[in-house]
Formats: sequence, structure tokens, C-alpha cells
Amino acid sequence: MNSIAYIDNVAYEVLQGETILTFINRIKGKQTVPTLCDAPNLDPYGACRVCSVDVALVQDGQAKAQASCHTPVMPNSYIYPHSERIQKLRKNIVELVLTDHPLDCLTCEVNNNCELQTVAAQVGVRDVRYPEGKNHLDRKKDLSHPYMTSDMSKCINCSRCVRACDEVQGQFVLSMAGRGFDSHIVKGQDTTFNLSDCVSCGACAQACPTSAISDVFESKSVAVDEKIRTVCTYCGVGCNLEVSVKAGKVKSIQAPYDAKVNQGHTCLKGRFAFSFYNHGDRIKTPLIRKNGVLEPATWDEAYAFIAKELTRIKTDFGPDYIAGISSARCTNEENYLMQKFMRAVIGTNNIDSCARVCHSPTALGMQRTFGTGAATNSVIDLKYTDCMMVIGANPTAGHPVTGAKIKQQAMKGKTLIVIDPRRTELAKYANYHLQLRPGTNVAMLNMMLYYIISENKVNTAFVSDRTEGYEAFKEHILQLNIDELESITGVNKQLAKEAALAYASAQNAMSFHGLGVTEQAQGTFTVMLIADLAMITGNIGRRGVGVNPLRGQNNVQGAADMGCQPHQGAGYLDVTIPENHQKYEQFYGAKLPLHIGYKIPQMYDASLNDKLKALWVIGEDMAQTDPNTQHVVAALKKLDLFIVQELFMTETANLATVVLPGASFLEKSGTFTNGERRLQKVNKVVEPLPGTKTDGQIVAELMTFMGYPQLEHDPDSLLNEISQIVPFFAGVKWNDLGENGKQWPVDKAGNDTEILHTDSFKRGLGKFVGNDFKESPEIVKNGKEYPYIITTNRELEHYNCGAMTRRTKNVEILTEDVLLICAEDANKHGIKNGEMVCVESARGKVDIKAKITDEVKPGVLSSTFHFPEIMLNNITSSEHDSEAMCPEYKVVSVRIRKSKGEYKTKPQKEMV
Amino acid sequence: MSKNLSELSGRKGLHQNLFEELGVLAKETGTPSSKDLDALAEAFLIGSANVFGTTTFYDFLRPENKGKKVYVCNGSSCLTAGTQPALSAALQASFGSDQIGEMCCLGRCHENVAFHYQGQNYSGNAINHINEVKEGSYPIQEKYHVGSYGKQILTASPEPINTFYTIWESVLQNTPEAVLEELKLSGLRGRGGAGFPIGFKLESAKNTAGSTKFVVCNADEGDPGAYSDRYLLEEQVHLVLLGMMIAGYVMGANMGVLYIRAEYPVSIQNTRDAIAQLRAHNLIGKNILNSGFDFDFKVIPGLGAYICGEETALLNSIEGQRPEVRVRPPYPTQQGLFNKPTVVNNVETLANIPFIVKNGGSAFAALGKYKSSGTKLVSLDSFFNRPGIYEVEMGTPLSVVVNELGKGFKSEIKAMHIGGPLGGLVPVSKINDLSIDFETFAANKFLLGHASIVCLPQNYPIIDYIEHLFQFTAHESCGKCFPCRLGSTRGYELVKGAKEGKTMDTVLFNDLIETMEIGSLCALGGGLPLPIRNALTYFKSELAPYFNA
Repeated sequence: MNSIAYIDNVAYEVLQGETILTFINRIKGKQTVPTLCDAPNLDPYGACRVCSVDVALVQDGQAKAQASCHTPVMPNSYIYPHSERIQKLRKNIVELVLTDHPLDCLTCEVNNNCELQTVAAQVGVRDVRYPEGKNHLDRKKDLSHPYMTSDMSKCINCSRCVRACDEVQGQFVLSMAGRGFDSHIVKGQDTTFNLSDCVSCGACAQACPTSAISDVFESKSVAVDEKIRTVCTYCGVGCNLEVSVKAGKVKSIQAPYDAKVNQGHTCLKGRFAFSFYNHGDRIKTPLIRKNGVLEPATWDEAYAFIAKELTRIKTDFGPDYIAGISSARCTNEENYLMQKFMRAVIGTNNIDSCARVCHSPTALGMQRTFGTGAATNSVIDLKYTDCMMVIGANPTAGHPVTGAKIKQQAMKGKTLIVIDPRRTELAKYANYHLQLRPGTNVAMLNMMLYYIISENKVNTAFVSDRTEGYEAFKEHILQLNIDELESITGVNKQLAKEAALAYASAQNAMSFHGLGVTEQAQGTFTVMLIADLAMITGNIGRRGVGVNPLRGQNNVQGAADMGCQPHQGAGYLDVTIPENHQKYEQFYGAKLPLHIGYKIPQMYDASLNDKLKALWVIGEDMAQTDPNTQHVVAALKKLDLFIVQELFMTETANLATVVLPGASFLEKSGTFTNGERRLQKVNKVVEPLPGTKTDGQIVAELMTFMGYPQLEHDPDSLLNEISQIVPFFAGVKWNDLGENGKQWPVDKAGNDTEILHTDSFKRGLGKFVGNDFKESPEIVKNGKEYPYIITTNRELEHYNCGAMTRRTKNVEILTEDVLLICAEDANKHGIKNGEMVCVESARGKVDIKAKITDEVKPGVLSSTFHFPEIMLNNITSSEHDSEAMCPEYKVVSVRIRKSKGEYKTKPQKEMV
Repeated sequence: MSKNLSELSGRKGLHQNLFEELGVLAKETGTPSSKDLDALAEAFLIGSANVFGTTTFYDFLRPENKGKKVYVCNGSSCLTAGTQPALSAALQASFGSDQIGEMCCLGRCHENVAFHYQGQNYSGNAINHINEVKEGSYPIQEKYHVGSYGKQILTASPEPINTFYTIWESVLQNTPEAVLEELKLSGLRGRGGAGFPIGFKLESAKNTAGSTKFVVCNADEGDPGAYSDRYLLEEQVHLVLLGMMIAGYVMGANMGVLYIRAEYPVSIQNTRDAIAQLRAHNLIGKNILNSGFDFDFKVIPGLGAYICGEETALLNSIEGQRPEVRVRPPYPTQQGLFNKPTVVNNVETLANIPFIVKNGGSAFAALGKYKSSGTKLVSLDSFFNRPGIYEVEMGTPLSVVVNELGKGFKSEIKAMHIGGPLGGLVPVSKINDLSIDFETFAANKFLLGHASIVCLPQNYPIIDYIEHLFQFTAHESCGKCFPCRLGSTRGYELVKGAKEGKTMDTVLFNDLIETMEIGSLCALGGGLPLPIRNALTYFKSELAPYFNA
């Protein structure tokens, strides 16, 4: 039974672990007790003492003032939140605060949204009685940073910013310095935001109760018309955002504290990189290529042109000469419509999405092992896990909020294993960093599996009850030559053993993987081995465990769920099985093909071989981001009809026959599904820019234009339609999604699912399949002539091709792609830090600035392809995962030398 | 207080200690270089802001310490003795004024005129031999009287190490539970000021799960006027070390940390020497005397911050964090050093443990009065005819201490500040009402504290002393909680203004001290009002002109 305590002599039940503050707030409502240093997402700190209350052991007895934020409720105690003495105490403390605070509320950015102002009003300060003394009112503002600002004359020393930087982001940019009255906030060693290691997450600004730290968008100002909640468009974490709108324009963004996904946190992309949405470069009218030039056209002209061309090609060549690439940046409803267009209107399964180039091996591999290709668990499970294995992922840059959460757990002492060729941020904090040669994941995981089996760390109960194929798998693993694998991976076998045993011995272990797993020749096999690792140790089906792919784009999960794949329709039903085929035909009221369609790489080949004449792509810049640029560009150029639906004139849009101006996430409503299968509401914040349309509306209108009776694009009715064809959306209703969405499967009654495979796998028994390491064809073919391996990566500040982030001030924070190279290799070639390096592969060469770092080992290089100036994909190959055809961005054979001639100073993009 | 920083610092732990490294980096010039701080931050995976924040906190790390060669004691005793202006003037003859810094209490209160030069302390007549001091030929060990009244637990002549440590052998043959029972039975209460029973602390830490635990000796005897802990570390160090070893055995800690203030160089050296002796005798280390128990020591010198005497600030300090006071819970016995279960006890408390183990808890409990069992060390300053360290049984009348042990005052005294800067200001008229125990002091609205006695001579203005106390608190406040950070400075400004003729508003002044008293996070801001209230009570008429009607 719970204990009781009294508030103003009335008894209430106390919940386990409640502080006096949470107890009073729960009973009497928030803000009953004023606070200044307490914040919803931070540990109690006890600095301001404004939350003090009187506590007595007997009714109206001798009371002791106690800070309610950090004091647990004592059973049977008598709490007096507003005794006369306490009211006086609060007022006197706030008065002291005001002796060192400018009284310029009316002109202050946070006027009417200042916690100090609110608390001062609440406690009734009318006067500052102290004579003028020492103060800090002359502190200078720091306006050095593209986003972050500070005005420390407004600082009240609550340390919320320091704690947010520590407890939420884990970056330690801020600290208090000095002591006593002199104590003050510093960035780094008392430098500016711009010169500090700040990652611009904005957590400090959001945490600051005054305007001491804020941002250039004045996100705490009340001068806005409304605040609308939506979901971020960048990565697969799916942060909830609260967008402030003024006069029809986005003013600023904050992260809601009650968001299940991000609990008041987000990164610089989510919080600050929104100004692309009304950038002058936005395409505002359809364009049709006439005599080689893209010329403005009306929507009707564009639709008519497209309809005519598609009809012609379909008639002359057949529906399979037409293909579509949908976008994982778009909503579920839009993706659903796009695949429906291809299947029901055109009559082809030639529909794929950018999920192909990132997580297709995850879907396939996990489907093979478990039966479902989605994250088994949720990010919240990090709280319950004892061991985290991060393989081929750099979440502090790619998935910053999840990355920060993993880092937090690691810093709190949970075991962290990082398998990555680079010494990533997380690798620095890891207990075990297995710094393998790129392309050897299968060998690495086989080593770990070997030790788990040979050291008897197998969860035999789980293996016998829940899986099949184990005996053959075990035999396969045990005959591996560990010394050979050690030399293949370059990872000491003792270290591999220790890491394997740490994972296997943990009460609960969970794995996270990213594109460093999937974008390799053996991507699907690697995913299967990660799944095997989870099964062999019984880390499936409960809190704190599982296999958790870190989805690249905001809606990679959704694009695949909605059927933007050539082999599976909406809801992952195999399109070649007659029963499914019939179901889809009936549902769409159209004739559908029974054979699978092209995957993206196959589309390029088909075009080059005259097997594909038309391609419609939404929101993907293949010319910059797909590997082996010249191959891609040649294929796109060869098409009769190339429709590009985009926000900006990307490298790809420049090759289009027709350009359709789509709309950004801020301009549309619908749903995104994040990496933990959470379907969340995207709410329109502003109207689409004049001349543009939401992507779903464009598809729906074109469907109607081409004679297919499609309802208008609105999320409510579309979700209703989807729920009837996608089995795991059975109970999904727009109006029931609430603010935090639902995790699929959602049953008919609307119940959602946090953890998959709790009692049995989707496919019944989990299936062990052994896979041997095989050297990538890229290394086999080119390794001798091109002895270095370059592995591509992402930086925190930019998103993929950078079309959006380069149109924000993020470009002032990170201005270019660079080549990461270790000192040893740089010395070998006489390359100095900052000098241009020519990186050449069998496909082409680029010149790129060297950054000497200990992040990579000798023989390994790394870079990004955020900037079109470099076009790094000139050198990447057409090799791909043997099973899912995901391109191998992570293993490219190259050679390097100092740049020559004019390229000593500027990048080149030269094709061989 | 950052759990992450505790953990990250704890990854390297005591072996490569962040705080100690900062001290080492400051050795050369008085403050670590910016480049060194960056490298240290990177090695510990923390922010350069964190190491910078820590560096700027400590008197002997902060940039202002750069180039300081000699430090003048500005502790309360040297202040009321009035010896320091002349000392400073004398030092100016040998040093540039930018080479002269200040240190708060070198523990030479028995003769004052104290200063610190090249890692050693000097006092009394030393300034008259400044050339010998500079040459290093002047003796560093001073002399003061040590006496007792009743049972001698802490001041008896030290036994030879091999016979003394038979207690340790017997402990290792006993169960931790049985030893704990004796400690609980003894009623030993913490001598650091709070008076918390040691048995409870050890039991709580013992019962907290975890394979890594620490016992920490708080030897940051920062209270100006107190030098009894210094006495123990310099003359009776094996009592302290064995006390820690036994506490470690009881709670399951394998590591003992002695945090000794930098102002006590001899204490640090002597403790290190004693630990080396223990190692030579195989009394510490792995599998001690084949018991299966491991125990070792680490000595960490402080770097000049009074607040480090507060136990949670002390833990943050060892971790290399800013020594700001932590909230409780979690208590150190649950999450202390590096987030591990930790018992922090004062030097004198720990020094009592060997006696209890040897003679039984009840023998200790039989000594003393009320709930104050055992004995107490008292430090007497130079206003007494016989200054020094005295061990008295708890309950001994204050008059005995003053008159029989201290042999009375050299000159006329108006008040005694007993128990450090946060202890009570006892007017001479109250001497006969008090005895040395927690209870009578509390009942009379004073505080036994560390039982150090600093005298205020008859001609010393009380308003000056109040100003000194506010100034001390403002200087030493960690700055975390609002009432102390702001209140101590505003209080100092008010009193300073009053001395300059701006009378203080009585209501405002009372509001201020009540705000600090009931609102502060720790005993620094919370304790300052006690001597001020005493002053307002006992020296009302002297103070009246400074207040409005």
C-alpha cells in the first residue's frame, strides 16, 4: 500500500519515489509551487530554493523549510506549501535575484514568457530594498553564432543550461566558472558559442528560464500567432516539434517536453534548419523542358504533358517501361498514393523508394530471420538495457537525439560496444570499440558468434523454444578459422571475445545499426547475423533488448510499409502470390501485374538498355547521392520522360523533362512513421508556397487527371483507406493518433505495440542461417590498384545531399565536405592538414580538402557527400548488397595523391 | 553535481585522478595553461568548460593565483589577533605585492603571524627570520601545548606500529557485522560538525549493493581557528588510518581517500609517510594478512576552497568537478564518490574507531554526557595563556577548558567564536553555562562544531567581525544556491555600508539572515546567521548605531 502525506493538513496518497514537488504538483496542479532551477527534463538541482515548503512531523508542528524539488515525501509528514514563512522566503529570494538582474522586462525578448517574471509576480515582489551593489548587468552579449545567442546579464545562475548540455545532450560545452557571487556561465574556456564545441542542439536555450541563452529566432518570444505541433522531416528519430507561426510564416521551433519520442530535445536540424522552406530557391511553378530548356508551365499543362507521355509510353512499350521512385521524406499517405499510382494507374510494380539506398537490407534480413523487417523495440528501451551494441552507425551525427540518449546511458556506466571503422563520438565513450576494416562486418559478427558459442554463453532455452536451424548454424560457426577472421577484420580476437561476452552476459542487451551495416555487399547477411546475435543470447521480445535499425530518413519505415517496393505492396504482401495479387486488384479496382518490378539500380540499367522510358521521382537527388554518378546521370539522361517532383533545382532536377514543385513537411498534413514504428501526426504549419502543391495532392490530381477515381489527398480519409489494406494499420485512425502517435501493429481496437516478437516471431520460429564473409567485389576487382578504402559518412549539420540544410545557416557551421585521413597516411603522401587531395577510384576522381584525424586508421579514408561542389559519388561504385541491391557506399577502393594544378585550391568533379 | 561527470571521472578513478592532475598542472605557474586543460578534458572525455569551471573555483588553481609566491593567513584567529597587517608589511620588503596572496587559516592559531612560503607554513617568530625561511633553513615544525582532561583516546602517546596494529589483526579475524555492532554501541557521532552517528552511515553504505565502495576522510579542516585535525594527522596519524581501514572493512570498501587541505603541507607529507610505513609492514594492499581483504589509500591534497569541507562538495572535488554542494538524496552512502557508495567522515571521528574496537563500544559510550559520547579535541588560540590542543571528555565544563586548561586569557576578551565561522559567538558571560558537548551548545543556541575557540579581544568591534563573517562566506560560497550566493554578498555590502554610515534596515537585515538560514542548501549559508544572531543578541547596544530604528 502506498503511504500518505498531508498537504495543508489534508491527507493524500503518495506515489513511489515522488518528491514533495511532484507530489504537490500532481495533487494541486502544476506551478502550485514556484521554481526557478527545476526543469521537466533535468534532474532536481536544489539551487534556487524558491520551491521550499514547510514540512512538519505533526500537524501544525515545528516545521523545517525543505526544497521540494529534491526532497522525497516523508510518509505521514505535514507539508505546508504556502506557510507565511515560506511565502516570505520565496519573496526574499526572488528579491535577491532581482538585485542582479536588469529590470527591462518590457523590451526583453522573453517578456511574458519569462519564468523569473512569472515567479516574481507569483510571489509578489514589489520592491528591491537592497542598495545598489555589485552586479553583472554589464556583461556583453554573444551574437557570434549562426543560431545560438546569449546575454548573460539576464542570467540567474540556475544552471539549467549547463545541466541541459550535460544531462540531455551530453556535450559539456557549458559550465559554471568562478565561485560565489562571481560564478558565471562559460562556454568552453570562456569563449563564444561560435568558437566552442557547441553542437547547436538548442537544449540550453530551451532550458533557460530567462533570455540569457536564446536563439536568433527568438524561440521564447510570445510575439507569435500560434504554435503548432508537428514531426521533424530529417531523420528517422521522429522528433516532435512545436512550431511558432507568425503572419503565416514559421518563426521558430521548440521541442515539446511531453513528446514521447524526444522529451523536449531535438537537434540543430530539427530546431533551427527550417528556413529552407521559404528560401528563394524554392521551385514555384511546374517546368517543362522545351528545346532543351526547362520552361515554366501551368499545372494543367504539366499534368496534360505527363498524362500524354505516360499514356504514349504505356501504349507503345507497356507499363513496365514506366517506373516511380517515391520519397521517404514524404508522408505515409503520399507514399501510399505514389505506389498506388504506379500499380493501379500505370499497372507496373516498378515502384521503389530511397529506402532502397539505405535500409532495404534491414527489411530483407530481418524479414528472413524474424518475419518482420522493423525495429523490434523502442528507443525508450535504452532506459532498461544493460548493454548497447552500435554497429555501422554514428547516431550522434545521424540520429542526434537517439545518439545523445545512447551516449547518456554509456556515460552513466552501461556497457557500450561500438563496431565501426571510424572512431566515432560514441566509440570514444565505448567500453569496446571494434575498429574493423570497412566491409568486414560479417567476419566481425562471426567472430563474436564464435566466442558466444565456444564460451557457452548461448541462451539455450531461448534457442530451443523460439528458433530453428541452430544446430547447423552452430556447426557452421564453430568450424570458422578465428585467426583468419582476425586478420580480415583487423580486430584483435581477444577484444572481439571480450565484447562478445559482454553482450552475451548482459541481462538485457540491445543493438542499433545503421548504413554502415546495410550499404555494403554483404548488408543483408550482416543484418541477419545481428539478428542471430540477438536470438542466440535471447535478447528479443522484452524491454531493453532487440534489433533496432536507425532509420535514415524521417519516413523510411513508412515508405516501405506503404508498399513503395517492387516486390511487396502496401503492408508487405508479396505481389507475386496470387492471393495477395487478387486482394490488391480488388482493393484498387484495377488490373495489376503479377511479377515484381525494378529496384532503383535496376531502373538505371533498364534505361541504359532501353527497357525503361519514363521515371517519376519524388524528392530524391539521385544525381548527387546515388553512387557512381556518371552511370546514374547517363541513365537519367536517356529517359524519354523524367519527372522530378522537388523543392529545389537539385542536380537531378536539372536533368528532368518535367519538374513539379512539391511542398515541404511544414506545408502538409499526414503521418510519418519513425524508426520505432511510431506513426505520428504531421500537421500543416503554413500554407504551401504559392505555386506549389503538397506531393500527395499532385499524385492524387494526376490520378484523377488520368481517369482513376481517387479521393482527394487528406490524411483522415487516406489513413482510413490504408487501414483496410495494411494489416498492421487495422485500427489506425487519424483522430485517434493523439500527440504521440501509435506504434504499429495497431489492432482493430486501436491498441498499439511497443515491443515485437514477445511470444513468438512473426514467422513462427526465428531462423538461424550461417553466412560466410566474402570480400566485396569492389576490393577484389580494384583493391590492388586502388589500395585505400574510402567509406562515406554523414555530418551532424547536413542532411544527405544538403538540398535543405545548405539552404539554412547550417552551412555557416559546416561549410564543406572534407576527407578524413590519419596522420600516418597523410605523411606518406606529403599531405598537410587543409591541403587538397585527389581521391581517385576506378570510376572517377574528386579533389577534396584533407582533415588529419585519429578518427580513421591507416588505409581507411572517410568523407561525406553533402555538397555538390565535391560530388563524391563520382568515385563510388555500382556494387551493391547481393540480396537487397542497396548500394555499397561504405567500401570504395581508391588511391590518393596531393592535388595538382588548379585543383590545389578548388574541388573538381571529373569523370573518367 | 553531474552524474555523468562523476562517472567519466570515475572511469580513471583515483589512479589517474582528474583533480590531482589539475593540481599538478598548476605547480609550475600557479594555474594550468589553457592547452593543458584542453588535453585533460579530452583525456577524460569531458568538456574543456568543465575543467575550466573547476580551475576557476579554487584559490590555488584560478588564473589569479598565477605568480603567487607567499601567502598571508587571513583566518579569523590571525585576524582578531591583529598580527597580519604588520606581517604583510614585512613580507612586502622581500616580495613584490603581486607575489603575495592569501590563504584562509594555516592552523597556526596558537601563535598567529602565519604565512605560507614554498609549500610550507610559518608562524610566530618566523617572519623575523625571513632570510632563513627563504633559504629553507628555518624549522617548519612549530610547537604548541597538547593536554587533556579525563580519558586520553586521541592524545595518548602513540604506540609503536607493530603493537598498535594488533587491533587490525583482530578486526580482520572478526566479522564486519560484529565490528559494526561495537561502533553502533559506542554512540560515536561525527566530529565534523553535524554530529551524525557513524554506525548508521557505515551500515547504510554496507547495505548498499555494489562491489566498489569508498571510505573518505574529510581532512579539509577549513574552519579558521581549528587545528585539531592537523594535530591528529601530524602526531596521531595511525589512529586515523586504522580508523579508515576498519571503516572500510565494515562497509566493504577497499579504498580509503584522505582529502587533506593544501594549507597543511606537513599533514600531507606525514600521512603519506605513514601509508608507506603501512605498506612496508604489509598492513595494507592485497589480501592483507591473508584475510582476503584488500585495502589501500590515496592522499589527495586540496587546492583552496573552504566549501570542500562539506562532504558532497568534497566528493565533487575529488572527482575534479566544481565542488558545489549536491542535493540529498541520494546520500553519499548510496551514491558518493564516482557514484559509488561512500562514507565520508571527519579525521577526529575516524581516529576514535581504533579505541572503540580495542576496548568495546560500551567503554566509549561510558565516556561523555547526554548523547555526546567519548572525548572531544578543543583548539585554543593565542589569546589563551596556554594555547594548544586539549582532549576533554564530552560534558567537560567550558570554564574548565578556559581556566584550567587554557590557563585563562592573556588579555580581556569580549567573546569567543566557538566551532568555526558557522559556530556560535559566545560572550564571556556565557562561559559558565556551557559544557563541551553537542547538547548544551545547541540548547543555548550555539554550536559545538569543531570546538575550536577564536577569541575576540575587548577592543574588537563586533560589526567588524560580522563584516568578516559575511566576507568569508561570500568568498567561500560555492555559488550554487541563491540564498548563499546572493545573500552573503548583499549582507557584506550592507554591513560595509553601515560602517560607512549608511544604517541598515532592521527588517531587511532580518529578512536576509532568515532567508540564508532557512533557505540555503548547505550549512555555509545556513550556518552564517547563527553567530550573527548571537552578536545581535549579546552585543545589541554595540550594534544599535548601525541599524535604523
